[in-house]
Amino acid sequence: MQTTFTPEQLTDPGIQRANEILRACVHCGFCTATCPTYQVLGDELDSPRGRIYLIKDMLENERVPDAKTVGHIDRCLSCLACMSTCPSGVHYMHLIDHARAYIENHYRRPLTDRALRWVLAKILPYPGRFRLALLGAKMGRPFARLLPDPRLRAMIAMAPKRIPPVNRNDDPQTFAPIAPRKMRVALMTGCAQKALNTDINDATIRLLTRLGCEVVVAEGAGCCGALTHHMGKESESQATAAKNIRAWATEIDGAGLDAIVINTSGCGTTVKDYGHMFRNDPLEADAARVSKIAMDVSEVLSKLDFPAAPAAQEMRVAYHAACSLQHGQKIKTLPKDLLKKAGFTVLEPADPHLCCGSAGTYNLMQPEISGQLKARKVRTLEALTPDVIAAGNIGCMMQIGSGTGVPVVHTVELLDWVTGGPIPPAMGEGGRPKSDIPILR
Amino acid sequence: MEMPKPNPEILLKKARIVSRLQEALYDGAVIHDEAETRAYECDALSAYRCPPLCAVLPSSTEEVSAILKICHEEGVPVVPRGSGTSLAGGALPTADAVILGVARLNAVLETDYPNRFIRVQTGRTNLSVTGAVETDGFFYAPDPSSQLACAIAGNIAMNSGGAHCLKYGVTTNNLLGVTMVLMDGTVVEVGGAHMDAGGIDLLGVICGSEGQLGVVTEATLRILPKPEGARPVLIGYDSNEVAGECVSDIIKAGVLPVAIEFMDRPCIEATEAFAHAGYPMCEALLIIEVEGSPAEIDEQLALIKEIARRHNPVELREAQDADEAARIWLGRKSAFGAMGQINDYMCLDGTIPVSALPYVLRRIGEMSREYGLGVGNVFHAGDGNMHPLILYDANKPGDLELCEAFGADILKLCVEVGGCLTGEHGVGIEKRDLMVVQFTPEDLEAQMRVKDVFDPDWLLNPAKVFPLASSATRRAATGVAA
Amino acid sequence: MIRPASEEDLAGVVAGAKGPLSIQGGGTRGFADNAEGERLTTSGITGITLYEPGALTLVARAGTPVEEIRERLARDNQRLPFEPMDHRALLGTTGEPTIGGVVAANISGPRRVMVGAARDYALGLRFVDGRGMVIRNGGRVMKNVTGYDLVKLLSGSYGTLGILTEVSLKVLPKVAASATIVLGGLSDDRAVAAMAAALGSPFEVSGAAHDPGTGETLLRLEGFDESVRYRSERLAELLKPFAPSRMESDADVVAKLWAAIRDVTAFAGKEGDVWRLSVKPSDAPDLVGRSGAKQSLYDWGGGLVWLRCDDGTDLRARLAAFAGHATLIRANAQTRRGLGIFQPEPAPLARISAGLRAQFDPRGILNPGMMG
Repeated sequence: MQTTFTPEQLTDPGIQRANEILRACVHCGFCTATCPTYQVLGDELDSPRGRIYLIKDMLENERVPDAKTVGHIDRCLSCLACMSTCPSGVHYMHLIDHARAYIENHYRRPLTDRALRWVLAKILPYPGRFRLALLGAKMGRPFARLLPDPRLRAMIAMAPKRIPPVNRNDDPQTFAPIAPRKMRVALMTGCAQKALNTDINDATIRLLTRLGCEVVVAEGAGCCGALTHHMGKESESQATAAKNIRAWATEIDGAGLDAIVINTSGCGTTVKDYGHMFRNDPLEADAARVSKIAMDVSEVLSKLDFPAAPAAQEMRVAYHAACSLQHGQKIKTLPKDLLKKAGFTVLEPADPHLCCGSAGTYNLMQPEISGQLKARKVRTLEALTPDVIAAGNIGCMMQIGSGTGVPVVHTVELLDWVTGGPIPPAMGEGGRPKSDIPILR
Repeated sequence: MEMPKPNPEILLKKARIVSRLQEALYDGAVIHDEAETRAYECDALSAYRCPPLCAVLPSSTEEVSAILKICHEEGVPVVPRGSGTSLAGGALPTADAVILGVARLNAVLETDYPNRFIRVQTGRTNLSVTGAVETDGFFYAPDPSSQLACAIAGNIAMNSGGAHCLKYGVTTNNLLGVTMVLMDGTVVEVGGAHMDAGGIDLLGVICGSEGQLGVVTEATLRILPKPEGARPVLIGYDSNEVAGECVSDIIKAGVLPVAIEFMDRPCIEATEAFAHAGYPMCEALLIIEVEGSPAEIDEQLALIKEIARRHNPVELREAQDADEAARIWLGRKSAFGAMGQINDYMCLDGTIPVSALPYVLRRIGEMSREYGLGVGNVFHAGDGNMHPLILYDANKPGDLELCEAFGADILKLCVEVGGCLTGEHGVGIEKRDLMVVQFTPEDLEAQMRVKDVFDPDWLLNPAKVFPLASSATRRAATGVAA
Repeated sequence: MIRPASEEDLAGVVAGAKGPLSIQGGGTRGFADNAEGERLTTSGITGITLYEPGALTLVARAGTPVEEIRERLARDNQRLPFEPMDHRALLGTTGEPTIGGVVAANISGPRRVMVGAARDYALGLRFVDGRGMVIRNGGRVMKNVTGYDLVKLLSGSYGTLGILTEVSLKVLPKVAASATIVLGGLSDDRAVAAMAAALGSPFEVSGAAHDPGTGETLLRLEGFDESVRYRSERLAELLKPFAPSRMESDADVVAKLWAAIRDVTAFAGKEGDVWRLSVKPSDAPDLVGRSGAKQSLYDWGGGLVWLRCDDGTDLRARLAAFAGHATLIRANAQTRRGLGIFQPEPAPLARISAGLRAQFDPRGILNPGMMG
């Protein structure tokens, strides 16, 4: 498209990048086809093309954002399905993140919004605080109906029924490999995940050590910064990301790292983008090094010679492709290939490209749309009559899990199970497997 | 691009019109905020933009009828809009026009396999119509390249085609019936699940009327059983003439491929740089696909290859499996995106008699040098539809005008050799002024008389298709300024 | 009989006409008998003006005999895919059908169910409107969306919007082989179900007809030798649950079978009115049952139904409203005048059709009264 930035405006590196992205867009509209909010709302303004247009106008004219524009941009899930669809290679993610930061800096949100977002930013990335909040939510569940704001009600509803105790495996330490050592990897233990579901990291550690990885939980690493980054709170996200970069750079320069393993695909996308996020920062070089070796757990497992099952299982696994994994990281087949190799019958739902509506804090901030997307996703998954639903992202697991009776597990939990680990707790309680899974060695 | 001046009376009563529309639907269905109407100021022809008076998003035929009735009473022009993927500016509004978007009408209403039709609301995307029937072994044939996103409403308005149309026809050959709302709010049903028109073929003239005769809200579409399989073959030649002869010989031999795609050297090079599909660097590339059972495919491809070899190709590649087939198609499907990486581009859409291809390509090459603008050509070789992609820089003053002049010359050339201005995209605003190259005043008058019957007040998408001078009197009659 | 020798001639005749004109091509289909006016034939405006086999395009003046076109195409191994019906046997008429008549009345045959009707093969046309103006629409290329599609509007308008002087057609190659599967003894219901199953298969059935008189259901397959052999086997397999079948692979025999269906020769020489119904296929058996017809024939998988009824039957009243329409093809003048040969349209559509006729023929001289 034609853009009208002045030469002065273009001296700002953020605007320069935005201009590059906007010039690549030809306004063809293909992105509208795979945008979940466009499917639900049918309004050009709630499609990637419309949002690109709003952002373009906002940045070119240095407008003070108005409530309507902010509303449309807030409604974006950042699922990045549009990036998978775009024939022109428009980097929508960088544009929307830039716009969110711009809005955070130039728009005065209503008090309730500001308060809510502040609370989320101050709680979710900190497992200790988050655990307390979840306890509070658990106790407040009976009174949820009395809350005036639908977002607060959504938050209470999303809190899990059981909050796991603190898992000492998430503390900084090194886990020795069981098989002869093939790789040394850092496990990103995450933030919110540690308070919601500690089985995922446990399964990951067991599986990786079983296959020959020395797994280190680095000192000083914590939240990857995705949550605050997607809220436009750039200074906070840069701060937490910087901690990670330093922690992992220390390991790289110390005993060395072959990979940084991330089992929450929402975080993986952000860590892989550290190079871009820190491109004008003193930490640029380290950020690039970290991004280079950041991998989703499925990528690492694919490098590790995962054993093939001797015979096919009868277990039907519905594979839910998390947006951050299929669109953000462009990993579409690896997890399915691993599950098939492990002998599971892998099934995919209709419209696999459509988001489940979790999208970070989206299910808390946009409960109506999130609810509609959740219903659609659950419907397509249940139509496969699966024994279990597997996903590569905690957010999706929580979202889908809250809408179905089918057990929802992380892909690594299933892979850990067939190689000698315990049955995933979500399946052990109440759901019985159809057949005894033979243990692979 | 000249557009009629907005009627100041309508602009003055905007608040009343918005309020009447909000009352008839609901507040959220009417977009009237200046910040928001901007998103509806253009479709995929983004070079021309004008925010509308407001945009309305109905969810039912009844709501569409209510909207049109109000606009008719108020004398407000209405511009229908599907997914806004038109490359001809079909959904470009004027400042006094109401955009009527049908994206919320996207349900499947009825699927009937024994009688082989599906009935859908027209806001549904083209590909999702096939999506609704493919697990049962059927598909909807017309497949424009934008099928992922374009709406059936737009397909009907423009009589869209696609690569499959050589074998299966275009939209008008696959459309069985419509529910359409006239400008005064009357709802009519034309056609249905039966095959022929009972009187005058109104359905046939509605299809391709670019949203000027009524707003189509529901459509009955022919669905076909999926073939057992399909396989492409890629053939490279060092001469456009020879490639054209090869195609001609294949057709004369009685083979009816499901698609015959042609790309010229500039397009091949750009595509290869972007998509890395492994195309040979030659003058002309053909991708030909045939359908049937594996044995039938083999039989047809054997014949095609034999004919192809007679013309001494520089490359002859048959797909051995689904992955290879995807790779053969990958480049062609990425061609537009590839050209877009180089620069901005304008995609043209003329049709020529297939025998005229070498001459036309030569002339386009000459014009490209005269204008100083690069151009790559994608061509549906089976039916003569050309897509020259002219590269220009939207941010360079004067380039757009130069590009348009070049484009106009190419389209005039198409008409000159016995073809036409547009094979798939429609006239919209893009080719409006060139209509006089293809039609006499009497020819245009005959077409306009059809609109006089359906929309006597000329309120539906009035500034499209016909040169403004030709339609001036009719549009002025409503008090819409010329 | 006025017989202009050229388009210019015709334009002059129409411009100077003092009263209604009843227009015909070869006069073989009987439609001209339904309009009052001075008889005018286009059979003098004749000749193939362009033929490019490699581009699958043929352009001919409206009065060119269909047979002449057929012969010319056959020399390059091509044909008119929609196989237009020849009405002469059914109506007992003589004369030479013209291509203009075929397009003006949208005349097709059994293959329409797979490849489309005459109107789907008309790429362009020239016509003289009711003012005597010569109008052109469409062209000679397949992909053409330049302006309104008056080609479709004029096709099947029976001369009421304009008199065709030239048509451009898309043609297709002839086939190397053809075969027909014949199922015996199916009831009308089961026959329609069998045809639906065949047409819903990927085996490209190019003809699906059922003659209750002989009890035979016919399914045609065409193409290259191996392909036809393969598809015949697979289709026969698919249809086993319906009835035992026999295979007819002799090209001449197959051609004769389908020509008989195309021309409804089963009704030829038999008394009674002939009606032609265009219906939703699954509705056909019930409609035939309620029609009280003496003889019936199903084509297009049941989408086209021919009925031979007692003289003067008001079939439309008998059947009441149904999805589709009934056209009166053969009856005496009194019946035709009384019932009207075309099914009356619902009011809003009738208004639009009348409006179009008024626009194209303001003096109302082109086949007035024929269509409404």
